[in-house]
Amino acid sequence: MPGVWMRIKELIRPARLDGELDEEVGLHLQMMEEEFRRRGMSDAEAMAAARREFGGVAHAKEAYRDQRGFPWLESFAKDVRYALRGLRRSPGFTAAAVISLALGIGANTAIFSLFHTLMLRMLPVAHAEQLVSIHRTGGWGTGTVSLPLYREIAGRADLFNGVIATNGVNKVRFTSQPGDREEFTQREYVSGNYFQVLGIQPVIGRLFTGEDNRVPGGHPLAVLSYDLWRNHFAADSAVLGRTVVVDEQPLTVIGVAAPGFHGVAPERHTEVWVPFMMSHFGQLMSPNMWWLMPLARVRPEVPRPRLRAALDVLMQQQLKTIYGEHYDAAFRRKALAQRLEIRAGSVGLSMLREHFGKPLGVLLGLVALVLLAACVNLANLLLARGAARQKEIAMRLSLGATRARLVRQALTETLLIAAAGSAMGIGLATWGVRTISGFLPEEAGNPFSSAPDLAVLAFTVAISLGSALLFGLGPALGSTAVNPAVGLRSGSVDRAGRPALRRVLVVVQVAFSVVLVALAFLFGHSLLALRSVDLGFRNQSVIAFNLDFPRLWKAGFHQPQDQLMKTLAATPGIYSVSCAFPGMFGGGSSDGTIRVPGSERTATEPVDVDITHVAPRYFETIGAALQGRDFERNDTEGVVKVAVVNEAFVREFLPGESHPEARWLSFDDSKPEGGERTSIVGVVRDIRQDGIQEKIAPRVYLPFGQKDELTFPPDILVRTALPPAAVQAIVRRELPRLGSGIAVADWGTIRQRIDDSIFETRLLAALGGFFGVLALLLAAVGLYGVMSYGMAKRQGEIGIRMALGARRTDVVGMVLGDALLLVSAGLILGFPLAWAAARAVHSLLFGIAAVDPLAFGGTGGVLIAVALAAAFLPARRAASIDPMRALRHE
Amino acid sequence: MSTRETKTDILQGTLDLMVLRTLATMGPQHGFGLAQRIQQISGGMLDLNQGTLYPALLRLEHRGWIRSRWGVSGNNRRAKFYEITAAGRRQVEKESEDWARTVAIMDRFVRLTETE
Repeated sequence: MPGVWMRIKELIRPARLDGELDEEVGLHLQMMEEEFRRRGMSDAEAMAAARREFGGVAHAKEAYRDQRGFPWLESFAKDVRYALRGLRRSPGFTAAAVISLALGIGANTAIFSLFHTLMLRMLPVAHAEQLVSIHRTGGWGTGTVSLPLYREIAGRADLFNGVIATNGVNKVRFTSQPGDREEFTQREYVSGNYFQVLGIQPVIGRLFTGEDNRVPGGHPLAVLSYDLWRNHFAADSAVLGRTVVVDEQPLTVIGVAAPGFHGVAPERHTEVWVPFMMSHFGQLMSPNMWWLMPLARVRPEVPRPRLRAALDVLMQQQLKTIYGEHYDAAFRRKALAQRLEIRAGSVGLSMLREHFGKPLGVLLGLVALVLLAACVNLANLLLARGAARQKEIAMRLSLGATRARLVRQALTETLLIAAAGSAMGIGLATWGVRTISGFLPEEAGNPFSSAPDLAVLAFTVAISLGSALLFGLGPALGSTAVNPAVGLRSGSVDRAGRPALRRVLVVVQVAFSVVLVALAFLFGHSLLALRSVDLGFRNQSVIAFNLDFPRLWKAGFHQPQDQLMKTLAATPGIYSVSCAFPGMFGGGSSDGTIRVPGSERTATEPVDVDITHVAPRYFETIGAALQGRDFERNDTEGVVKVAVVNEAFVREFLPGESHPEARWLSFDDSKPEGGERTSIVGVVRDIRQDGIQEKIAPRVYLPFGQKDELTFPPDILVRTALPPAAVQAIVRRELPRLGSGIAVADWGTIRQRIDDSIFETRLLAALGGFFGVLALLLAAVGLYGVMSYGMAKRQGEIGIRMALGARRTDVVGMVLGDALLLVSAGLILGFPLAWAAARAVHSLLFGIAAVDPLAFGGTGGVLIAVALAAAFLPARRAASIDPMRALRHE
Repeated sequence: MSTRETKTDILQGTLDLMVLRTLATMGPQHGFGLAQRIQQISGGMLDLNQGTLYPALLRLEHRGWIRSRWGVSGNNRRAKFYEITAAGRRQVEKESEDWARTVAIMDRFVRLTETE
């Protein structure tokens, strides 16, 4: 197509082409004149005749130029220049429009990028849509399955085209070659068929096969991610066969996986894959060890109901062989209640999604509302702008501009605003993403990809273009629907101001704000309710951490742990030191079945209770009220076994007992009267140690080492007036003296751990609050615009009123009353919407009803206050009108 | 867009064919020469508004039917010469046939009125 190149050249060099045309036309005229002179005309006659024959020179040139280049592009460029000039002339309007849109777009982009990662983005594997994840639920099911159960599932070739299993992704110690500096890496234990089933190819070397995952501890192999290979080994193929140390296991690198594959957890980025038989979890083959997460490729021809039924049968058979003969009926019932549930697996296995999926959906709804509010605000601003330009538009229409052209110009302006808004919005989104990341606990992983995602960018562009066209077209059509004759005649064109439409838009804006503000109140109130739950202990600033011992540590952790605790306890400024397992808000559990002699509850069958193993001074350290006595150092070795129980224990097993300290319980649960005694020496308040929403249940506290030998190091708790950093420095200093390779893990105050445990609620409250304020600002801008416009309109009327004796307070009251009218309409429209929204998010609220009087009352109050504030300036301006001048003006 | 109506009796679209045909038979021409040739061929019966030639030339060039280059005219002046391309020649054949067909059809109608 030669024309296109030519047109592009014409577009780039218009001045040169103009010159050429001038030259060509000039020559033409000159030759014509010569011709006429030859025929005997005088110079002047020849010139006139040439012009006549040629026709209009200017007209010909204009017609020529119109054809040149890409006419539509040039007229677009002209529109852009025109719009830019207009926008520069009214910076207030431009700033308000761009910023409100940028906030809406930024919020949507930030939330959508998270939503996209956790909910939408398919794993980069072959036929991701066939993948399902299999969760163990019901009874005490928590998602994971045992190795024998996994093998049963994986054996069902009639249902699946391959089932893989992973142990999830863990941050572990990593040394790229023995003796090198220790770093951290993300390690995933996987089944041998992992890569095969997912359809991942190696870049170099080979990937695992079933043969690489047969014997526990027998396959010290590693596959590296492409990123790790590039960043750490400079993409050197000599890495094959080398030994890396991962989590203290020396492993031989056998291959590198294809680029772009980071494992099956969307919020994690696996760097090293290891056969799960290398796991150090202990009893790998035990049917009681739940540690694997299966991801299966379903045979397309197997319908879901059949799949479900088959898995039910399989699960029941498994459970019956393991627990069918268990003597404890309650335990047996709970065990057999477990089921296998099928969930979509195409997006991968995400712990974060399990937790955060619903709040994220709510956030997506919130930001959509914010964007709508911003768009309505934009439409309102555009209408106001159109009204201010009536005269100009009428003038241009009467000079022959077509309406289509004017609409196109107006839309160009809106598009420019949208473009600026989305550019700024993407910047805001980066900041928003960082804010959200700050709320996520470390173990939640990092769901945000560092590179901007194409899908997310497309989403942003789509919503900004959509909002520009959708909300710009109306005002563009409205403001150009002018009768030029009427528009030019007087300065005040009533029709085109569209005051009624603008008032409706403000009411809609207020209604959106009502929803957003009400939700902000609800989430805020819910957070307050969570925060004010009595946890049973006072000292949330206690520092909690634990020691991480090298895998090959044989000596046991009691000695170094005791030594560290002694050093800390002797430090001035530290009040008390203790330790516990399970720790405070740290996960982990320990339980046992007991009989309580004399209790009806345990008369027929033993009961399962939670156990916390603690050191002396535990209750004092965390600040929990204890009746009776605390444990002492010699309780562990003592002949008499002792326990402290919580109040729930007393309520459940010893109701009405005034001296529970005189009673005892027994872990020998074979007969109703129990066996070996464990004396109850104290009763402590009910402590929530696992989560704010934890249900209070009977709990038994035992001195360390009295019942079971612990397999995990307990949490060390330090109550101190020193800043945490100072304590950390002491611990760091002491570590080398305890033994080589010991590290500190999970460092933080109990308060930080509590915060992490309710991050969803905190995030909802913080973002909800932010969006609520945003919506209020938008509503205020809209109200202010409409009120000041209305005042400007009614100057004459107000002047007459004041001339007739109305006082300034009457005028102010009139304006404020008008604002209140608008807000009331907005509230009436918004409250039912807010109520519906509150119902939808009710399951995320804690301790408050969906129709929370505080939230709804507060919303009404805040909006009325904002309306009065927004109307105050216009009201004051109206009241300071000089009646004489206003009337003369009229 | 401004309109490009001309005061001439040239039928819309026929100027292109005239230009192409002229260039095809007379070889490369500058604008004035081309206008002269068209006038001559028409026997002076055509009221050609010569300014309209230039938009038409640009249009034909965009379509790839003619090309232009700067050269020197008979009396040593720099001038832009237009010549027909291969695509232009094909187009001339096609348009000529179309035109002949149109003329034949119109001719029948004209006769029809005469015999009535």
